[in-house]
Amino acid sequence: MKRVTKVVSSDSRVGVYICHCGGNISDHVDVNAVCEKISNLDGVRTAKTNSFMCSDPGQEMIIEDLRSGEIDRVVVASCAPSLHEATFRNALSRAGVNPYLYEHANIREQVSWVHHGEAATLKAERLIAAAVAKARLLKPLDPIRIEAKRHATIIGGGIAGLKAAKDLSSRGIEVVLIEKSPFLGGWTAMLDTLAPTGEKAADLVSSLAREVLEHPLVTIHSCSQVTGFEGSVGSFRLEVQKGPSDSGVPPVKDRGIFIPFRGYLPEEDEQPCKAFVVETGVIVIATGFKPYHPKNGEYGFAEFEEVVTLPRFIRMLAERDAGEGPLSIGGKEIKNIAMIHCVGSRHIPGIHEEDESGKLNEHCSRNCCSATLHAARLVRDRFPGTHVFEFYRDIRTYGRFQEDLYSKASESNVIFLRFEPESPPVVSRNPRADGSSLKVAVNDTLTFGERVEVPADLVVLSVGMQPSDVSDLIEMMKLPVGADGFLQEIHPKLRPVELSVAGIVLAGTCQAPMDTGEASAAGSAAAVKASAILAKGYVELDPFIAEVDLEKCRGNGECVKACLRQGALYLKDFDLHGEKVRKAQVDPVLCTGCGACVAVCPENAVDIRGWTISQYEAMVEAIARES
Amino acid sequence: MLATQKAGKILILATESCAYPGANAVGQAHSSYPENVFILRTRAPVLFPERFYIECFEKGISGIIIMSCGVECPYHGAYEVLARRIDRVFEMMRKRGLDPTRLRLTAICTVCTRAFLKEVQQMNEIVTKLGPPAAERTDTPPAEAS
Amino acid sequence: MNAEKSTMQIFKFDAIVIGGGIAGLQSSLDLADQGFKVAVVERDATIGGKMIRLSKVFPTLDCSSCITTPKMAAAAHHENITIFTFCELESIERNTDNHFVVRITQKPRYVDQDKCIGCRKCEYVCPIYLPDSEQGGFSARKAIYVPFSNAVPQIALRDPENCLLCGKCEKVCPTRAVDFFQEPEEFIVESRAAILATGFEMMPLEKNVQYGSGQIPDVITALQMERLLAPHGPYNRVLRPSDGMEPESVAFIQCAGSRDKSLGLSYCSRVCCMYSIKQAMLLSGALPLADITVYYMDIRAYGKGYEQFFQNSAAMGVQFVKGKVAFLNGSDGGKVKLRYESQEKDGGVQTAEHDLVVLSLGLLPGWNPDGKCGVSPASDGFISTVLPKSAPALTDMEGLFVAGAASGPKDIVDTIVEAGAAAMEASNYLGRTGRS
Repeated sequence: MKRVTKVVSSDSRVGVYICHCGGNISDHVDVNAVCEKISNLDGVRTAKTNSFMCSDPGQEMIIEDLRSGEIDRVVVASCAPSLHEATFRNALSRAGVNPYLYEHANIREQVSWVHHGEAATLKAERLIAAAVAKARLLKPLDPIRIEAKRHATIIGGGIAGLKAAKDLSSRGIEVVLIEKSPFLGGWTAMLDTLAPTGEKAADLVSSLAREVLEHPLVTIHSCSQVTGFEGSVGSFRLEVQKGPSDSGVPPVKDRGIFIPFRGYLPEEDEQPCKAFVVETGVIVIATGFKPYHPKNGEYGFAEFEEVVTLPRFIRMLAERDAGEGPLSIGGKEIKNIAMIHCVGSRHIPGIHEEDESGKLNEHCSRNCCSATLHAARLVRDRFPGTHVFEFYRDIRTYGRFQEDLYSKASESNVIFLRFEPESPPVVSRNPRADGSSLKVAVNDTLTFGERVEVPADLVVLSVGMQPSDVSDLIEMMKLPVGADGFLQEIHPKLRPVELSVAGIVLAGTCQAPMDTGEASAAGSAAAVKASAILAKGYVELDPFIAEVDLEKCRGNGECVKACLRQGALYLKDFDLHGEKVRKAQVDPVLCTGCGACVAVCPENAVDIRGWTISQYEAMVEAIARES
Repeated sequence: MLATQKAGKILILATESCAYPGANAVGQAHSSYPENVFILRTRAPVLFPERFYIECFEKGISGIIIMSCGVECPYHGAYEVLARRIDRVFEMMRKRGLDPTRLRLTAICTVCTRAFLKEVQQMNEIVTKLGPPAAERTDTPPAEAS
Repeated sequence: MNAEKSTMQIFKFDAIVIGGGIAGLQSSLDLADQGFKVAVVERDATIGGKMIRLSKVFPTLDCSSCITTPKMAAAAHHENITIFTFCELESIERNTDNHFVVRITQKPRYVDQDKCIGCRKCEYVCPIYLPDSEQGGFSARKAIYVPFSNAVPQIALRDPENCLLCGKCEKVCPTRAVDFFQEPEEFIVESRAAILATGFEMMPLEKNVQYGSGQIPDVITALQMERLLAPHGPYNRVLRPSDGMEPESVAFIQCAGSRDKSLGLSYCSRVCCMYSIKQAMLLSGALPLADITVYYMDIRAYGKGYEQFFQNSAAMGVQFVKGKVAFLNGSDGGKVKLRYESQEKDGGVQTAEHDLVVLSLGLLPGWNPDGKCGVSPASDGFISTVLPKSAPALTDMEGLFVAGAASGPKDIVDTIVEAGAAAMEASNYLGRTGRS
């Protein structure tokens, strides 16, 4: 073990520890020669080597030197920082020294494993010298700690919102649920039975709603909307306006029950039209979707009364009394039903027509295939005299047990016709007085493009899911929106329920089409993120954020313009010796520490803590210097 | 190897989430590359002002490769800002008579070991050919190339 | 055995997560971030599951390794998470306190985990070369090795089947970590809640008679294709394995085992359409002149951004042919001959030839609870969920939850969401049953 100690007068007293890594480094780098040279650098108090710095004796060596006061900051030259930077920072903490007074030199992965001989030794020495140069300029840092109110607000009372409310209240977190309509249950309440399990939507909504309503930690505000928003993770402030409701509140006698095809109506005091404030730690956005409304004339919609949407048809089926004769419309028996898939979904630019706002729904709505097959099956089971024809592009029964719906529909003689988006089915009046009132014509690719005409007494359009209009929330909370119009999570693969705005999470179909089970899972996934934020009562963030030197700052606002996170930097007026001055300020909660501001300040008044430009300059100088 | 030892120093600014682990993966594979390459870890290279690059050349660094995360950048919008800044640095380099090929912006992922080696090799050829930046620098801008 | 049992080490945690793939890691992070102590048990020598082995992910085309590694590191460094790798689950039972008692066997690595520093000196001196399954079998590994560059933990293991006991590794190891005499060791994890995140396996090509049982050259699995496309793959570019030729025409065969009762899987494997489209897109970048054809029954681009991704691939020139491929043959010209029932144009049985054929084999459960745990599999073999619509993470065993592909094929994003949901359910269960 090599030890070189000397006495110098310097503000910072760096200890340098060079690892042999059992030959992994020392076989290629002359560790002792490097140690000797490094010990002569300005600011270095001691330089030592050890065969394994990560071992307990290696760490003890550092702790001893720190405790004795001989050194006040540390450089370890060893393997990649991803392996042991945390180990050595912990050693500093154990010695009672701020863990950020530490710099790592990577002389294994980036020296001894890629270079050999004299050159490896020289490069290791340069890299350690650079680390020393940075270490001399390090300042103690503390993680940013933000108090978090143990309170969550959920916007939207559909399945995802209810599920999140249930989960968070079970964790002992106070919950406020804000729902625009008088009802709970969202669009799930508009269904009869769910595909593919066949369970009753009413039962699912009712039991979930009751559980939430009965929980002492949950407060539900129906007929309410968020009208104001401020604050950041841990302490948001929401202004809420209750009533008046535009969807008509049913009479009081109907309260505390599920009203079919409307939802669960909470039992609550009449408190019409009031404004109030909610102070909360996290926000769950669960604002749902809206079904596509076909254009006039689209597949005969609004042109022929026998053309209906799938939700309308589901209700027709459910409301028809069981076991009495054939299925009928306007007193006429329905012998043939044509179901057309992908209405308002999977639009292709150049083929489909944009709506008034110039938008296309290019996305797949994910649920319609299963929902349509499920409805077709019900028809075939209950009304064997009614034939079902499905016009589709691809059958997307991707989910668990959904493929069974498809095969069972085939087995029960549902007829499938496949069309290309360029030549969609055409719905028109059937001129033959004796048959069905409508006919649907299509070039069926399953019979090699043959023109097929199908008689139809009823045409059902499988309408897709579209983003609901939450432009007010998007505006207020600066929520990111994707190209498809749905709210955009921070990473579509790995962080699907988090938003780039800290403390706000997404749940359910406000983000993308989902079925009931998927929306439940999303509600829980959003809740677990919210619960983690609120778990400790405070949120701890990395200390590596922007810092403004108020001495240097002249308030020109360049940094504010360059900031990539709106609100993370702002200008503030100060009173300095009776004079009003304007300086830049950092919001430590919003700042991500990217450094976009650092590069643009003409005064060099902004820096990222722990990664300052002067530290980099010192490192470059040390590297450029000839050994 | 003699030629590479004589070549000027190359600085790599490598992002901590992609390129820096990528460089470590090269080490784990024990692939060799010229020793005149020095890698500094950054959170996001958008941090560095234009003058930082120029000053690196003034300090004697012969070539710089910015190894970013590219489209995988964890800081939304930072890569685009960086790319525009580097265009301005190229302009400043031309005005100072510095060959702009001494600076390069690229994206390297955590497992892009071959891309890393290729970038380093190419830059090494450039700095070997060009020599140290001091020899090149002129105070009068060169005539605009047409 | 009783004497041994009494000395068996017992570790106590709030929750145990079975499986260290992306589902298990996400569940354990979501539990640990709330303050629960979590044990993760992984069968493999590294965590990261299938995801760390992929090239890029759809529809973002992010580098899979780049987005998985941070999650692996976060779990590995989390103060509330303990990871046990290279461990086999023996049984999950309940004791009288209603806690789970999980018996686990630590398989021998023949390398001391506490001593190994992952420097790979052993690997370099080992004289044995074997096909590297981490690279689709297309390149070589040694008989003592660290699984791959971003494996967590970075600890070597010895392959006793192929090791010649030459002792070179033992001599070169700087920490004297190599131990030829290591034995399997059993230990117990006791926890109050458990999450099954046991993932999936791909149907073995050898069992697929229709598609040549793995005997036709240049018929590969989709996971092998992932390796060919990875930036750190075996060849540095896409070459067909039989003769190293750059393929001029590549076919992707969908539902090669799925949605097909004759092969035992009636269900849809859910991810194949999208990964094939992704591979086709990456391939058209790597081999701009190659013809790429996807043979499919229905394109199931159902997720967020998936349909747009599918349309883009078609616009880029990937050919989509609706038809079921009946069987494959080798042919004299070094091509793979494919016979399929076309469902477009003139229809009928058609043939085609391609240089390389990639099979979207069906996804199978990664673990069977039979004889090990009282939880029930459903008719499809995956773990049964009792409330799929309102609480998809619930199994028929109280306190035991399920996440990711353990309850049916699933893509990464749906897996992550479910993993969060499973962690939420487990947290609430732990809350209800009182913290210890």
